[in-house]
Amino acid sequence: MRLPPFELSEPATIREALDVVARHEGECRLIAGGTALVPMLRLGLARPERLVSLHRIPGLAEIRTDGNDLVIGAMATHAAIHRHPLVVERWPLLAEAAGRVASPSIRASGTLGGNLCYAESASDVAPALLCLDAEIIATGPRGERGIALAEFFRGFYETALGPGEILTSVRVPGARQAAKSAYVKFCPRSAEDRALIGVAVRLVVSNDGRRCADVRIALAAAAPTPIRAHQAEAELRGQSVTDAAIAAAAEAAATEGDPLSDLMGSADYRRHMIRVWVRRVVTSLRDGTPLPNA
Amino acid sequence: MTRVLAFTLNGRPCRTSAPAHWTVIDLLRDGLVLTGTKYGCGEGVCGTCTVLLDGEPVRACLVLAARLDGRTLLTVEGLEREGRLDRLQEMFAREGGAQCGFCTPGMLLAATALLAETPSPTEHQVREALSGNLCRCTGYTKIVTAVLAAAQAPA
Repeated sequence: MRLPPFELSEPATIREALDVVARHEGECRLIAGGTALVPMLRLGLARPERLVSLHRIPGLAEIRTDGNDLVIGAMATHAAIHRHPLVVERWPLLAEAAGRVASPSIRASGTLGGNLCYAESASDVAPALLCLDAEIIATGPRGERGIALAEFFRGFYETALGPGEILTSVRVPGARQAAKSAYVKFCPRSAEDRALIGVAVRLVVSNDGRRCADVRIALAAAAPTPIRAHQAEAELRGQSVTDAAIAAAAEAAATEGDPLSDLMGSADYRRHMIRVWVRRVVTSLRDGTPLPNA
Repeated sequence: MTRVLAFTLNGRPCRTSAPAHWTVIDLLRDGLVLTGTKYGCGEGVCGTCTVLLDGEPVRACLVLAARLDGRTLLTVEGLEREGRLDRLQEMFAREGGAQCGFCTPGMLLAATALLAETPSPTEHQVREALSGNLCRCTGYTKIVTAVLAAAQAPA
């Protein structure tokens, strides 16, 4: 089955891409890996007159460091991020989450920028990046601006990108303190599914090994967009990481989520699985024990 | 709006053209009449249209044909050498890894990518590499056996 016809622009620079987008505002869609947009075109959920493919723009798939920060180009694929030695060594939470996206061939096409631009609730990489305090770099007609990832997701499939802006890279700060982290994608049916829920945790334990010096907990498929579980974090931050504190954090995470009911599971089941998996992930990070299979 | 495309297809230079809205599978099946690559779900879920683009498995139903320009594409037609099946194909035949055959081209290409990177995979690695390829006959056991048989013995 063919896609409905559209015009195609393949700009060679960001400047050219911004010009095309400005000229065709409201009539065009950007395309990166196509893993989200092409099915939408086929199903008739989007009917743009023109696609603007970013694949010819040099350097847009680059993964590099800038000082202590990691800078990932919008066109970097999940597969490239998952296996990049620098990401594996210094941002293992992101490498792990990128390796859980869908299946190998989706990871080889799907891009980080594309994933984030859909504000996809079940995104695997978004919770990891929320835990890592990542920042979106958006390029528009008036230049670049940074948007904290936590401010970027606005609502169901809605982001803070303005008209004519392009997400060009993602900046991830280097770790200032030694932290333990993990991402769990819970799929009750099969591994390549979207997450029923996803839980990312980054835990900084104080020198005596008992107190939580800092923590980030972020969730996928727990609300209309990926979210930070601020109340759950507050139950742990500065506290002794006791079983009771972990249970309180898990309970808070389950209540602050606003999950959807869909084919994968009901909102109630999702809420319960948030409770279960936040508890398991934080406990396993505290104790240094392996996680049960998700 | 037709685009001229030059790329390497199954080891040979290919110069062709495709309308802007064609995906790789449209070009393969309708433009080049290479019908080994099957059209399944059209949404990137089933994996039967898996082909290798610069050695990496991708869904031919999701990638715009325009993206082939200057790159290297391998389809199931490119696996055999001088009229002989390659080792993976032989093992699929020997082990009964193909039933109705519809998922087989995608399975072969996904397994080719795996063995290029991991010549002696574990069973778990085989299952992970094929996790995006659905077999509607549910013949997974023999498919996994065939890939393991084609792999090099562990060092």
